[in-house]
Amino acid sequence: MSDSDHDIKKHISVYRNVFLALLFFTVLTVLVSYVEFDATERYIAGAVFIGLIIASAKGYLVAAHFMHLNNEKPMINWSLILTVIFFIVLLFMPLLWDMNNMGKDVDYWGGEDQKLEIYHDVN
Amino acid sequence: MDIKIPFNEELRPDTGLYNAKLGVWLFLASEVMLFGALFSAYVLLRVAAPIWDNSILNIPMATINTVVLITSSVTMIMSWVSLKMKNLEKYKLYMGLTILCSVVFLIIKYFEYSSKFEHGYYPSTNTFLAIYFTMTGLHMLHVLGGIVVNFYLWIPGVKMWETEPERFTNRIEIAGLYWHFVDLVWIFLFPALYLL
Repeated sequence: MSDSDHDIKKHISVYRNVFLALLFFTVLTVLVSYVEFDATERYIAGAVFIGLIIASAKGYLVAAHFMHLNNEKPMINWSLILTVIFFIVLLFMPLLWDMNNMGKDVDYWGGEDQKLEIYHDVN
Repeated sequence: MDIKIPFNEELRPDTGLYNAKLGVWLFLASEVMLFGALFSAYVLLRVAAPIWDNSILNIPMATINTVVLITSSVTMIMSWVSLKMKNLEKYKLYMGLTILCSVVFLIIKYFEYSSKFEHGYYPSTNTFLAIYFTMTGLHMLHVLGGIVVNFYLWIPGVKMWETEPERFTNRIEIAGLYWHFVDLVWIFLFPALYLL
């Protein structure tokens, strides 16, 4: 058997293991979604956190092994790092929109006076 | 005179890649931004919505679809491995299985969509269904596009193997990159829409 044949056989066993790991994480994602992490009404934050961690682990497996990003040329890695930076900006853009009022104890919809004040500030 | 397009098979000295591979990666980068914009909208709508009723979605069906798509990713990469091992018959088998899985995914999605429509749930019904249909609809279009490309490479396009085997293998690699990306998007869509 040549070296490249040996390498390919090794790759196939990696792909099989990644496949099994992805199936395991899929089942785990579904099971975790039924767990209530907190008795309070804000339990959704814990569920989102765990859900995203598992999805990211699955995403890493696909990107690193199926898309060969664990062994890719710097040109592609740098392009993707730039994409990730822009992606994060895109994800937080709605937050920037709301940033002016962060930390302020403003009740937007509290009373007519408040609404009027905001209306005058904007215009 | 026979003019050959450069860097179809051999690697470009400055990038270390054949041109099509760099092209597909840049295309996928733009796709990240496309789906990124929708995920950003999803987050904003999700945290602001007073009611987020995703209990009408069918989790077992979506779980089966996740398994089907993951399986198709494995068969896709195995089709590329088969060409690397110079085994065209195995390539045809694995590519056929990839297309089969993609079609099964669409059939399951069809049943999911029709059951929503039968119960009077449309994109205009509420905010959740609007973002659900938009994101899964766009993803479904990507699956459809993948089927067209993979089908071409399965039957009519396979004749390139006789004349330019390395170039054909590269084609399967980059079609695979696109297909794994489609799988990757679903990996995030599934928990975001169905489970959270």
